[in-house]
Amino acid sequence: MTATSTATVRGQQVPAPAATRRRGPGRGPRREGVAGYVFLSPWLLGLMGITAIPMLLSLYLSFTNYDTLSTFSDLEWIGLDNYRRMFTDDAHYLHAVRVTVVYALITVPLKLTAALAVAMLLNRTWRGVGVFRGLFYLPSLLGGSVALALVWFAMFSREGAFNALLSVFGVTGRSWVNDPDTALGTLIILGVWQFGTPMVIFLAGLKQVPSELYEAASVDGAGATRSFWHVTLPMLSPVLFFNLVMETIRAFQGFTSAFVISNGTGGPVDSTMLYTLYLYIKGFTEYEMGYATAMAWVFLVAIGLITAVFFTTGRFWVHYSDGDDR
Amino acid sequence: MYPSMSRRLLRNLAAAALILPVALGAAACGGDGGDDGGGGSSTTENVELSIFWWGGEKRAELTQKVIDLYHQKHPNVTFKTTWQGNSGYFDKLATQASAGNAPDIFQIDDNVLTEYAERNITLDLTEYVESKKIDLSKFPESLVRYGVVNGKQAGIPSAENTPGMYYNKTLLASIGAQEPQIGWTWEQLIDWAADVTAKTNGKVYGTMDPSADYKALWLWLRQQGKELYNGKQLGFTTDDLTKWFELWKGARDRKAAPPADVIQSANAGDVTKQLVVTGKAATSFLWSNQLPELAKNTKDQLGVTAYPGDPKGQWARASMYWSIYRGTKHADVAADFINFFVNDPEAGKILGTERGLSSNMDIRQQVAEMATDPSTKASIAFETEITPKFGTAPVPPPKGHSKIKSALVTAAESVQFGKATPQQAAEAFVSEANAALAS
Repeated sequence: MTATSTATVRGQQVPAPAATRRRGPGRGPRREGVAGYVFLSPWLLGLMGITAIPMLLSLYLSFTNYDTLSTFSDLEWIGLDNYRRMFTDDAHYLHAVRVTVVYALITVPLKLTAALAVAMLLNRTWRGVGVFRGLFYLPSLLGGSVALALVWFAMFSREGAFNALLSVFGVTGRSWVNDPDTALGTLIILGVWQFGTPMVIFLAGLKQVPSELYEAASVDGAGATRSFWHVTLPMLSPVLFFNLVMETIRAFQGFTSAFVISNGTGGPVDSTMLYTLYLYIKGFTEYEMGYATAMAWVFLVAIGLITAVFFTTGRFWVHYSDGDDR
Repeated sequence: MYPSMSRRLLRNLAAAALILPVALGAAACGGDGGDDGGGGSSTTENVELSIFWWGGEKRAELTQKVIDLYHQKHPNVTFKTTWQGNSGYFDKLATQASAGNAPDIFQIDDNVLTEYAERNITLDLTEYVESKKIDLSKFPESLVRYGVVNGKQAGIPSAENTPGMYYNKTLLASIGAQEPQIGWTWEQLIDWAADVTAKTNGKVYGTMDPSADYKALWLWLRQQGKELYNGKQLGFTTDDLTKWFELWKGARDRKAAPPADVIQSANAGDVTKQLVVTGKAATSFLWSNQLPELAKNTKDQLGVTAYPGDPKGQWARASMYWSIYRGTKHADVAADFINFFVNDPEAGKILGTERGLSSNMDIRQQVAEMATDPSTKASIAFETEITPKFGTAPVPPPKGHSKIKSALVTAAESVQFGKATPQQAAEAFVSEANAALAS
């Protein structure tokens, strides 16, 4: 995006080369437009083929009784039935929504707090800080990988490292991943631990806060706490806003860790039944793909609404320093 | 200098966030191989059959040998083989079937046979069986029937097995406990298990709690003259299931069975996590052909016997079937290969008992006579001992069984963790199962 706009700006500033000027008036821009689309075409084809068309198809399928194992010719249009069933006739669905909301509500604030705290530590200049930045970012690189979830599973099982640690203090732990009261907790910790991405973004934001502001604040007698609340946080609010939106969406999309830890069942006793996992089970193990696509669309709309709420409320707490009051 | 930075940074971040997944997604989708169609189905033309099964490395090795042998005899037939572990196998098969490119031949089990047969994904093999192109005359009749769904031969049993209870021989010998016997009642097993727990000072629990295991429940029901399914309905009542949950609640209360979190770790069925190999319990409830696979995961010697209760609850079960995809272009060749796989003596010799006992009785005997490996011998001895005691086979589970199987796990776990009483869990299960069977 930026690249394109800079090019245009440059194009306006630099006098057009002779070759361009010799072209007939009116034809040049159009030909440039065509060329632009040609250059865009790999991306456009990808967008159409991999995203847009399948999405439209899935919207259609969500109004049908599409059975994963049957052919398209057996499809029956059932109107809003899938959507109605979700909210009135499927206790598991509502349970999955609850689990997901709990997961997101706990994961996102914890993750952002951890990310900000570590970013502030790493924002100082001391020897070897680069190494630590790398180390803290590492878990995020491994991201939603299956390997990581397996490690987690081993760590929090009965003979795992976590219980070994507890036994040092004389506490006998249970198998945290196999207990319905704690399994979701292990997923939350796994989610929070991967705070590297928002941390790096916070770090970039912190670097942009001009030091004059801190100097001014300290001249006015503000301590560290006050300058955090009155300088850092307001200056950082756009970045915080971005991280909040992205991490909320990411939390709602949590799947891999729950799938691996519960062996694809959402167990023990449905305690790790995240929305996307339930969607997967519906589509692939219970063969109700029509229902699963309807779930996906409700999911999309829900995430859209949550993001919209963030954007509307954002105007009250996000401060852009470019001066135009909002 | 700084005023516009924040906003531009935000914009750049947003752009990056939008574009990255698309780019990565496109890259991820790039590596998919093409699919080969192929010519007609006459026996001299070159034919490529795709074949898909689940299992471990051992199964892959043996299956490949049989495939090579077939190719030697029919050089015009080549194979595209794919195999993977059981976990995720049916997800993949379902995806392929729904996309209309399922493999020509695929392995399937009784849990989903009806789901596939009723949706006409499996080719009806009745015609091949009648014309003896797939010769089932040496198969036990009940085994053949256990591959029939709604009058159609949906699958050819590639081997036979029964539920098998494994026990830790080494441990039992070291504490001087008796080995479990065929025909013990469930109560006897639990008494024995409580004793084992006591003798090991609670280090090893006497028995796994199989209350979440549909095959244990099924046998227990049959031993009382009931069934898991009666057509498209449940073959038992809430009271029956309550009793089943109470039986195992009692076992846990007496410490005959381990605490809930230990049981839960084995409920998903992963062989490496079974309590008999992790050393948490003296028994585990699995299938009779899984001894070699289990033995790999423990230093202790394992024994296998029947699940408790009257063995007449057992029947000749297909451990797995070969089915042919209805959309195949080479049905005749595929059928000929399956016939070779289950009936050829040389193939039988190669396969041994890895999938279970050979379905063909002649080959089964031949394999038994030349068996040398102790775990193979043990499997054969067990299966041979129990076979004459079999009851009549039920029909394969109906559509909706997958859902019911996982609902049973959830219900049993909710009792194990004290989230529900046996009665409450049974009620919840029955209403959910009824809904699954009705849809």
